[in-house]
Amino acid sequence: MVNLEEVSKIFRTRHGEVKALAEINLNVNEGEFVVVRGPSGCGKSTLLLTIGGMLKATTGNVIVNNNRIYKIDERKRAKFRAENIGFVFQMFHLVPYLNVVENVLLPAGTVRNESLNTSKAKELLKRLHLTERENHKPSEMSAGEIQRAAIARALIIHPTIILADEPTGNLDPENAVEVIGHLEEFHRDGGTVIVVTHGNMADQFADRIIHLRNGSISE
Amino acid sequence: MILKLILKEILHRKLNFILSLLAIISAVAFFVSFFTTANASKRETIRLTRDMGFNLRIIPKNTNMDKFWTSGFSERTMPEEYVNRFMAHKKFSYAHLTATLQKQIMWQNKRVILIGIASELEPSGKEKSSMSFKIEPSTAYIGYELAKSLALKNNQEVIILGKSFKIEKCLSETGSNDDIRIYAQLSDVQSLLNMEGEINEIKALNCLCLVDENEDPLEILREQLALVLPDAKVIQNKTIAVARERQRQMMDKYFAFIMPFIVLVFAILIGALAMMNVQERKQEIGVLRALGYGSNKIASLFLGKAIIIGLIGAAFGFIIGNGLALSFGPDIFKVTAKMIQPLYKLLIWSLVAAPLFAALAAFVPTMIAITQDPALTLREE
Repeated sequence: MVNLEEVSKIFRTRHGEVKALAEINLNVNEGEFVVVRGPSGCGKSTLLLTIGGMLKATTGNVIVNNNRIYKIDERKRAKFRAENIGFVFQMFHLVPYLNVVENVLLPAGTVRNESLNTSKAKELLKRLHLTERENHKPSEMSAGEIQRAAIARALIIHPTIILADEPTGNLDPENAVEVIGHLEEFHRDGGTVIVVTHGNMADQFADRIIHLRNGSISE
Repeated sequence: MILKLILKEILHRKLNFILSLLAIISAVAFFVSFFTTANASKRETIRLTRDMGFNLRIIPKNTNMDKFWTSGFSERTMPEEYVNRFMAHKKFSYAHLTATLQKQIMWQNKRVILIGIASELEPSGKEKSSMSFKIEPSTAYIGYELAKSLALKNNQEVIILGKSFKIEKCLSETGSNDDIRIYAQLSDVQSLLNMEGEINEIKALNCLCLVDENEDPLEILREQLALVLPDAKVIQNKTIAVARERQRQMMDKYFAFIMPFIVLVFAILIGALAMMNVQERKQEIGVLRALGYGSNKIASLFLGKAIIIGLIGAAFGFIIGNGLALSFGPDIFKVTAKMIQPLYKLLIWSLVAAPLFAALAAFVPTMIAITQDPALTLREE
């Protein structure tokens, strides 16, 4: 499903080079729930964005669903991402001027799929206990509700993989459990989940826990 | 989806939209008000010049000027063919051109001025309303005083120097020596006076061929005329029309000087607002990227917004610009208010140019939005 071969990522800054990922080799199988744990600044987000086709590796190969995603052009990579990968971020990143249904349907702007419609979005929101909030804007909702809406946005395209970056980082324990529960539900239905976090909330559902420190991994 | 996102974002970030819109409205309103007033000033200058009569008089060189100014016409003549020479000379600019032959005669025991007028000649390809009468052969126009004292009526037959004429019209009072004139076709008058092929004046309008500020246009005209019509000389009515034309030209110069600054200032303002908008939406752009939105779609969000602002700004700017022209134009540009009329072609131009201008101003911020690394913004948590 996901193969990283000798992947490194180096950022060039005014103060010199920063090696965020150091020749990482990683294999995540289809249907696997993987937790990547590590302290802040260890390269977790960089790893996730690199897998998601958002951040080109400095060296090495990133293979997702048998596609070397940085060997294809930006337009095709965007299409691949839209059709295969669901993102969930710590800061939620809902579009502030759209209501929940409109936010969930944002991927419809890039994917030609007739099933991406309002009734589908509402059905998904019902599953995530957000029916009452369908027409609310993010500023009118709690953090837990916003994160569940973000999960609905990730799920609506029926992705093969969900990449979650600290999905419970801004949530209280009750909401964190619920969010992790929805990711686990996706996993139970056969989806692949990679969660990067510095907490242990997702450990109980993980098939594998990987530790990331100074850009290198250990299991 | 893109249009929906643009409209929703506009409603969400109203201040940015309103400030951008105000910038476009100001730029368009400034342009429209200035252009409309300048155009009104130009039309008024033309009308003023026309109403004042011919401003260039070409008379025989050996004319006694004392007598000329006393009688109002030259006692000498020159060949009628001079008109054709004048027309053929490409360096003269004129609007209306006509040849006349005038002579004082005694008619029905009255001292009258008989004037023969040739058909007006226009520069080829231009059609303008006639400055004088279009007189048919064997017809005459009779001055007010003459008609009144002799009890003449329209369509009446009269004999002038042995030839029969039908009175086409008895003219209204002018309060000048035009009231004792008899107007007839040039060829008829030449025949009556036995002066075939002769004229004593060529009149021309709109020889406002202003040259450089340091040059005297009349001197240049005289130099040119001496080459073409050696036996003629030129007199010009130096009227307020020239002053008006100079004033208009000065306005045009100011406009040409100020407009680039105005355009630059508003372009910077719109660009800065677009840049602020891009900065404010960095994370949104990152998320849209993550969801698979490509560069074209991201660019459409910003350029589309700029175009919408441009279209709305053009419409309001046109209305406000015309309002400003009507309110302040007459005082600032010394032009009659009724001459200020909306130029609807400016609306079309504004609707094309303003969105283009707004899109160009937003171009750099849009490029920044496209090229910024979404991963960097998404990692900033």
